[in-house]
Amino acid sequence: MSVPQYRKAAALALVAGLGFSLTACSTKSDDKDTNAGGKVTITVDCQPVGAQKELLKNWNDDVAEFQRQNPDIVIKSVSVGEQCNNPPDFTARLAGGTVTDVFYGYMTDLQQVLDSGQAMDISQHVNKNTIPTWDSVDPALKEVFTDGGKLYAVPVKNYSMGLVYNKALFQQAGLDVNNPPKTWGEVRAAAKKISALGNGIAGYSEYSAGNTGGWHFTSLLYSQGGQVLSADGKKADFNNPMGKQVLQNLKDMRYGDNSMGSRQLLQWGDLLTNAGAGKVGMFIGAPDATQAIVSQFQGKFQDWAMSPLPGQDGLAKGTLGGGEGYFFKKDLTPEQVKAGLKWIAYQKLTPGKGQFDYVRAKPQNYPVGLPQPLLFANGSEAQKQELELRKANANVDTANFAIFEATPVPIKGEPRNAQAVYAVLDAAMSGVLTNPNSNIDALLKTAEEKVNQLLAAES
Amino acid sequence: MAITTVPGTTRKPGRPTPPHTGPQRTSLGRKVRDNLTGHAFLIGAVLCFVVFSWYPMIRGIVMSFQRTRRGETTWVGWDNYSRIIADPSFWPAWQNTLYFTVLALALGYAVPFFVAILLNEFRHAKGYLRILVYLPVMLPPASALYLFKFYAYDPSEAGLFNAILKALHLPTSQWMQSPEMTMPAMVIASTWMNMGGAVLIYLASLQNIPGELYEAAELDGAGIWKRIRHVTIPQTRLILALLAMIQIVATMQLFIEPLILANGAGAEDSATSVAYLIYQHGFFQNDLNGAAALGVIMLVVLAGFSAAYLRLSAKQD
Amino acid sequence: MAQDSGTRTLISHAQLRRGRGRFIYWALLTVVVVGFTLVFLGPLYWMVTGALKSGQEIAQTPPSLFPKDPQPQNYVDAWNNLDLAKLLFNTFYYAAGAVVFQLVLDTAAAYSLSKLRPMFGNVILALMLATLMIPAMVLIVPQYVTVIDLPILHINLLDSPFAIWLPLVANAFNIFLLKRFFDSIPEELMSAALVDGATPLRTLWSIILPMSRPILGVVSIFAVTAVWKDFLWPKLVMPSPETRTVSVGIYAFAGGTPMNVVIAASVIAAIPTVIVFLIFQRNIMSGLTTGSLKG
Repeated sequence: MSVPQYRKAAALALVAGLGFSLTACSTKSDDKDTNAGGKVTITVDCQPVGAQKELLKNWNDDVAEFQRQNPDIVIKSVSVGEQCNNPPDFTARLAGGTVTDVFYGYMTDLQQVLDSGQAMDISQHVNKNTIPTWDSVDPALKEVFTDGGKLYAVPVKNYSMGLVYNKALFQQAGLDVNNPPKTWGEVRAAAKKISALGNGIAGYSEYSAGNTGGWHFTSLLYSQGGQVLSADGKKADFNNPMGKQVLQNLKDMRYGDNSMGSRQLLQWGDLLTNAGAGKVGMFIGAPDATQAIVSQFQGKFQDWAMSPLPGQDGLAKGTLGGGEGYFFKKDLTPEQVKAGLKWIAYQKLTPGKGQFDYVRAKPQNYPVGLPQPLLFANGSEAQKQELELRKANANVDTANFAIFEATPVPIKGEPRNAQAVYAVLDAAMSGVLTNPNSNIDALLKTAEEKVNQLLAAES
Repeated sequence: MAITTVPGTTRKPGRPTPPHTGPQRTSLGRKVRDNLTGHAFLIGAVLCFVVFSWYPMIRGIVMSFQRTRRGETTWVGWDNYSRIIADPSFWPAWQNTLYFTVLALALGYAVPFFVAILLNEFRHAKGYLRILVYLPVMLPPASALYLFKFYAYDPSEAGLFNAILKALHLPTSQWMQSPEMTMPAMVIASTWMNMGGAVLIYLASLQNIPGELYEAAELDGAGIWKRIRHVTIPQTRLILALLAMIQIVATMQLFIEPLILANGAGAEDSATSVAYLIYQHGFFQNDLNGAAALGVIMLVVLAGFSAAYLRLSAKQD
Repeated sequence: MAQDSGTRTLISHAQLRRGRGRFIYWALLTVVVVGFTLVFLGPLYWMVTGALKSGQEIAQTPPSLFPKDPQPQNYVDAWNNLDLAKLLFNTFYYAAGAVVFQLVLDTAAAYSLSKLRPMFGNVILALMLATLMIPAMVLIVPQYVTVIDLPILHINLLDSPFAIWLPLVANAFNIFLLKRFFDSIPEELMSAALVDGATPLRTLWSIILPMSRPILGVVSIFAVTAVWKDFLWPKLVMPSPETRTVSVGIYAFAGGTPMNVVIAASVIAAIPTVIVFLIFQRNIMSGLTTGSLKG
């Protein structure tokens, strides 16, 4: 065998090895253009997806305008899907280190982000010089993204849950649009009337799969005045009359009145799809649920209104709050961090610009005037400006949200280890919504044992 | 796909390989060179095995005894195992997975075999029937499952299955919302979308059964069932055994069916599978180490299966 | 498939031609043809027409057999909103690459193991075959962290097609099939070629491969099917919307898309493969029946 032939065979067989080095070149070349020609480039995720036409256009316009004002900054937008933070994909990106330079996360994600070691401490960069409205931002929100005195993300959205209801269906069912239910008993009565419209319409709809069931159980429990975990976070605290009441209310509506529709095991998109199709009378959610119904699920925002979360007797004793922020990937240069902050300040935290550009949003097919995002502290300068603009440009009947805004229900955050706890509580929710003979005591007892086991194994 | 232009005729089987007749005595240099050539041909595939199979195998075991937090990895002994076993869904997941495996063996394994026997008897519409059986394999798996989820298993009377049951005056079902029906419904969907491949493989092996065997059996007065038992099954034993093993390994990985049909866990954990639990831990709960531990447990269980299987088949021979 | 019309099967021809046997045969054939059409084609019909129905019509009781007010817009929405062209291109690109990588590397390996038989070849083969018993799910986590950060090279393969192609090469079943096939090729052919001074590569190229077309076809089919059917692995290693496969893409959008549109997307996604299948079905069928797995 001649030498050249041998080489050829070896070369052929080594294609795999070559493959590695080829990808090495291709993946690396993408990232290393940060300082080309004195420009700072940053990648930012959570760009709206193609289906959200107007939101996407707004985002792109914002990027263009921002780059015009800051010729030495280049923003590369990345769209990560319909839900900017879908837990499995988010985890995969964190574990894989493929998060963008400036990346989106929920308030509850801080621990996971820190565990992954992907985020950097931005305390020294964030101040009034980099974000002009920083001093107006609600300190409680800053606290959520702070660990050990270090700030890891800039909050850009904050919400609390209430009762979202379909005004069109309310009217059809002969209910008073301006006097939405204030207690679970009233919700039940209204649901019964709405589902009597037939046509597969559910009076009240609820989640029970994909961890969203546990998420809503938490909110319903807060409305009763309960909590998911004990104060020290070491024990489950829902196997009590309050937890039972939550499930009993659902069971009564699902099987007592048959007013929750026959399709269960719903998760996030399923319920909103039904809502967009006009098949849901009421559900609990944040104000931005109406935005999603419009932008993704072909619904009309004029149909929707929102009231405070109901309680057992009188208004809720508490509600679940949450929000979002942008983290900064480790190892960014100070210039990149500054550029990222400047972008966030422009697009997310300036009244009249970006997400607060109500003048632009008013004629578009999106609701303006929703009582959110609650980003700025009460009485702060930025809050006043934002409220004025919102009132002036509202395209929804702000009266629909008046009660919600006038009756602030105390906001509670999510429990420790939320996703694992939610997965357990999903089973309790699905049990009560799919089994006419479910035993609430047994469901809660099992869930309690499971959560306690889980917490014990964690520590 | 150009390579698949295979002539439609059977390849003549090669004669039995004679003992190696290559040059027996060669110089050391030549021997080394021959070996190098041989390994040069091997290296590409071996590298892939090393990086994507053998190394991850070891790494999985190592990971299952570690915990990574804030970029720091520490040894934690059996902690991951105790945490994963303490997971409330651990036992339901195993129960569900084994139940699925048994059901899938009963249905997904026997049905294609008998369909193949049936198709092999027909002298007409052969091509048409084969294409029909294979069509669902062409659908992307997610599509096939959404088809079942949205239309067939709709729990209201607008659902296809319930409409049919109602028309026949039979009781309707809640399908994926009823814990008793969850697994059977998943097996039905999974068999429908996957059986095409198995049917074709059985057909191939049925065609290799010499016709004389059936003739002899018939002369001995054996009826159809006896002929299947004494000719068809023994003659295809090897392939039946191989596919049984493949089927068990495949069903143990039940994942996309619960994910799509039941949105994950289903009603009261009735759909949770071991594979789904691995996914939950690794990618929902930020617990890759726990997920790795569950992977190792699954490996041990399957190794037990394989050992039992090998022992059984060794005894039979 | 001319050869099997003459072969004796379970029931003899003669029996089927006689009066009662003939009646049963035709009755059974009719039942099976109608039954199979309903079972296998019925759902596809439901899918194509269901995607044309409006949201209201889908929820109606009992379901309607024909769409009353067809909405082709669902198909247009599906094509645009899911960017199906991109998803389909990705999937075919990954499938084509998988075929090439498996044909080149697995054939070379099987050839070496079967004909060149280097030292430790049997050990390597045994180690490869051992992986047959290990389901992908067991390895998914460590494989994933490996792909994120390849040992020694420290390259991240996420969103790179190599993350799909290279792990598929580590396929013991294909190597086993190929090796068995090569084993059946007479040794004399090899020695004759060697005497003529042909190199191993040349022998492989001009003697072995031309004889092995059926089995190469089978390996290709398996490679394509593996990419087509896989879900979790591409979901994990192709996290960006631009690099997703069809199955993963449809799943990712299903949560936020009305169900008629999801079904419409499923129909469109299936069309190219069904066409390819119908064109090549003879080759695929005979490839599967002749090349592989003789009992």
